[in-house]
Parts: sequence; C-alpha cells; structure tokens
Amino acid sequence: MTDLAARLDRLRGDAPARNHDARTIAALTTNPGCGRRGLMDAAGIDKDAVARYLGFPAPFGQSQFAIARGNAFEKQVKDDGFAELFTLLRERLGLPVPQVAIESLDEVGGNHGSELRHAQTRRALARALAGDGSTLFDHPLLRLDIAGQPAYLEPDVLAFRLGDKFYVIEIKSFAIIDGQADPEQVAAAARQSAVYVLALRRLLTQLGHPATAVSHEVILVCPENFSNQPAAAFVDVRKQLSVIERQLSRISRIDDLVAALPEEMTFELGDGLASAIRAVEARYAPDCVSSCELAFFCRDEARACGSTDLLGIAVRDDVGGVETLATALGLADGSLAPSPEQVEIAAKLRLARLLRAQALEGVA
Amino acid sequence: MRESPESLEQRIAGLRSAVRRALAGGDRTAARALRAELRAAEDSWERAVLGGGDPKPVLLPVREQVHHALSLLGVPAAPKLIVAVHDAFFSGELASSRLTSLRRDEERSFRSAPYSRPYYLCAALTADLLAPARGLLVISTWPLPTRIVGPYSPRADFLTSAIRVAEHTLRTGAGGDAVRPLLWRFAANIPGAAGDHPHDADPRRLLTAATAELEVHTGKDTEQRRQAADRARRQLGDVEQLFGARLAAAARAQNGRLP
Repeated sequence: MTDLAARLDRLRGDAPARNHDARTIAALTTNPGCGRRGLMDAAGIDKDAVARYLGFPAPFGQSQFAIARGNAFEKQVKDDGFAELFTLLRERLGLPVPQVAIESLDEVGGNHGSELRHAQTRRALARALAGDGSTLFDHPLLRLDIAGQPAYLEPDVLAFRLGDKFYVIEIKSFAIIDGQADPEQVAAAARQSAVYVLALRRLLTQLGHPATAVSHEVILVCPENFSNQPAAAFVDVRKQLSVIERQLSRISRIDDLVAALPEEMTFELGDGLASAIRAVEARYAPDCVSSCELAFFCRDEARACGSTDLLGIAVRDDVGGVETLATALGLADGSLAPSPEQVEIAAKLRLARLLRAQALEGVA
Repeated sequence: MRESPESLEQRIAGLRSAVRRALAGGDRTAARALRAELRAAEDSWERAVLGGGDPKPVLLPVREQVHHALSLLGVPAAPKLIVAVHDAFFSGELASSRLTSLRRDEERSFRSAPYSRPYYLCAALTADLLAPARGLLVISTWPLPTRIVGPYSPRADFLTSAIRVAEHTLRTGAGGDAVRPLLWRFAANIPGAAGDHPHDADPRRLLTAATAELEVHTGKDTEQRRQAADRARRQLGDVEQLFGARLAAAARAQNGRLP
C-alpha cells in the first residue's frame, strides 16, 4: 500500500494533492469504468489544472447565485436555534420534545483544522452512542480512506439521532413542488449523501457499533412548492451506497492500473502530459461533461477517433463490438463486410438503416 | 434662516403663475427651472407647517440600540433576531451590517481601557471550550451562566426570547404590523403557539406554549450552564471571561494538551 502511495505521489509530481470531497467521490460513481478518472483522483491530481494546461478548460463550478440561494436557505432553516428544522422533525418523525440539544462541530474554539474537528466529531458521536449526547450535530467532519489517503468530507450536512438510529440530513435549496423535485438534483443529492452515510457508518464501526445504526434513508430538507417553507423528504440511498462501496474497493485495486504504466511516467504539467494521459484508458460518455473536469479533453479524443462513446452509454452498448462510427455506418450500408462476430450487429444496423429510409420517405 | 409659512405661500402662488406663463409662452427650459423652485418651496412649506419631513436622525449609537434589544430578550441572541426585535419595538434604524464589527470593537475597547464603560457587548461562550460562540451577542453585565451556551441553550434561549417578547407585547400593549411578524416567527415553531394564520399570532397563547416547552428543557440547560460557568471562573482571566478563550491560549495553559 505504501508502495502504491509512493507511486501515486510520483504520478502527481510536485503539485499539491487535492483532497477528495463528497462531490468528487460521488462523481466517481457516475462513470465507474473510467480508469483515467479513477487513477487521477486516487493520485490527488488537480484535474482542472491539467485540463487547463492541455487547452480544454472546463467551465466548472456552481453558479454564484445558486450558492447564495443555498446558503440563505440553510441559514433560514438553522436560524433561532434550528427552530424550523425542529418543527419539521417533530411533525414528520415524531421527535420527542425534550430532544433539542445541538452540537456545533464547525470549529473547535476558533480553530478550523480538519484533524481537530474530526476528533471533536468522534468525541461528540461517542458521547451520543453512550446515551448521553446531543440530537443534532451541525457540520460533523467525517473521513473516508481512499487509496490510503484520508479524505475529509466537506461538511454541509447534519447528523441527527433519533432513538438509537442516526440519520444524515442534507439541506438543499431546490424546491419540492407537489411532492416532486427535479430528479437530476435529487439523484445528485442522493449520491453525495450516500458518501456521508458511508463515512458515518465507518466512524460508528470504528467506535464499536454496528454500521446499521446509520439509516440508509437520508433526510432531504428543501423548500416546499413556491415558498421558503422547508419540507422534509426521505431518500433511500441503498443503491448509491452499494455503488460507492464497490467504487471505493475498486480504487484500492488501482495498483493494477498503476502496474501497467511505465515506471517513470508522471502527470506533472509539462510536455509529456498529453501522451501520459492518453496512456491511461478513459471511457468517455456525454454525462462526463457535467461531472469531470477532463471531459472536454476526453470528448476531443473520442471525436478524433470517431468512437461510438460519443453517442452515449446506451448507444455504445447497443452496438457492442463496433468501435467507431465509421465502422457502424459502413456495416449499415453494406460497404463493409462484417467479420464473423459482427454479423448479428450488422444485420441490426442494416435494419435500422432501412427503417430510417422508410420513415424519411413517409415524411417526404 | 427659515421663511415664514405666509411668505412661502405668497412665493408659491407667484411661482405657480410664473410656471403657467412660461409654459404658455413656450419657454420649456425656464418652466422646468421654475417648477423645481416651486417644488422646493412647497417642501419647505410642508416642513414649516407640518413639522418633521426630514429623516429622523439616529439618536442612539449602535451599541445602545443593541443593548436595548438584548436587554429585552435577556438571553444570547443572533444579530438577525436583535435587528428584528429592534424594528418591532424601538424607533430609529438598525442595520444588521453595522453589527458585524461591533464585537471586535468592544473587545479592543475593553483591552485598552478595562471596565471604563458601564457595559460591553461580547460574544456568548461555548460550554465545552469556553470559546467565543459564533454570531451570538450578550451583554457583559449578565451573570456568567447566562452568557454561556450549551447544547440545550439554542432551544432554551429561543423559548426564553419568545416569552420575553410576548411579555413585552402584553405589557406595552404594542401591536400591529411591526410586532406581528416577530410574534409569528416564534409562534410558528413552538408547539401549540400558532393559530391557523399569521394574523392570529396571539402573545398570550405564545407565552403559555413557550413556557410549557421551556419547562421541559430548563433543568438540563441551567445545570450545564452553571457547571461551565464554574469552570470558566476557575480557568479564565477577566478578559477571557468576557470575550472567550481561544483554543491556542487554552492549549498553552494546559501544557499543550487539548482541553
């Protein structure tokens, strides 16, 4: 493991390591097959800087307005001793009235150091598990080991204890309208919360308690309809949890990926960067654009070789065995003779071409 | 010097006919200048006759205003609540932006000339580390346990604030548009305090409901605060008892061990 860590350090070169946060860990799970992203994240490489250097800067980050709105809503829910949140938890979950203790973990006596805060979080949760602690934990600082590197998780959640169960509460500013919210936003929130659930479970296990003490249901607090009134919804993150767990176990097998690379290779900014990156296989999908800084580089690469990846995961899987768009078109119009393993897919492609031609005739 | 209302009336009449003549003669530039003069004269007349008109100068410095609002609440409060209480019950304007530097200024003043003012506005102290709690203001003359916040204090103080505001409303007979949002802000989040509609924010019902819930928490809260206060008296110097201990200082005091 230390060997691997040294190797990853060498890959990163002199650049400072970029720690994972819940967003990057969640992003890893959207494209589990991508070795390039897995490796670069494991080595803590600043992908944004790399993309910029290669001439494919990604216009990334959240809009200023979205951040301001999110902060304002969170503040509103937490104002007056979390008054609105307690009302919500009492109404929705039957939280008993005496349980109102709050532990704020976002600093330790004016000190924001990660290790101190993590220690403080451990102490607070241990006290709670011993049966004599608070109900809400504001901004707990959790930790996940990723490829041997501790990653502290950006703490914009609350941990909440009801009976002997812990819940993760995430406050988000997108609206739940008529009981429905934007599915994409909910999915993103669920992926992030799943990371927190996992980290919280690991912490409880370390403290000698069963992981199931942390609920697999996450409480999402969002504005309701067109008001600023907060509403709570349960989101089941079991699926996201298993994806993330599998992903994390894959990352720890990143040594296989590293072993295939030449010893002296590095991803340091410099002349050899582009070829070094090309040496690691990527699996581009159009979704990457919304979650990976390197997406534009990979897209360019996929375009250059006319890869079927460009058309998305569904199409790529449909035309399995056909690598490039040119081959696919050739098989469809019969100008290319299919190899034995391509016979089946070639027939499908020809049928598709026929249907398309007929449909177009119908229109004309 | 001020013109008398009579001479202003004469001047206004003269200006009105001058504007009419200028417009009839097609001289728009002159008409515009005359109308401006007319409006100024009318404003002076209103001020002379009706009084006021000028925005009321702020009579009290910010710290006094904050002191009033905090004294009414009687417990540690966030700037937002302080401003809301001020707007509901007191005159003059209090901008929340002016509260941000307040605590630091007070600490500086205390350090350069200790106890030279009758009171100081300080941060509340956290019960665990006796460090300054973020965004909670208190008055230095309050007893130490009141100035310390433990895990139960945010809720207990919220309820105490509700009780104090309700009592003040009942005592002064204040009401109307300024006070209602404040009452509702409390009532909406205390079980049994709210009617069906924001307009139903009834101080009596709020008082009863808040008192009932406070009853549940007050024992644990006061005990924790009292213990922390004892610790603070033993461990902290004068300045820290008011403005809180920083972790670095505390760690040094304990030979580098974390508290």
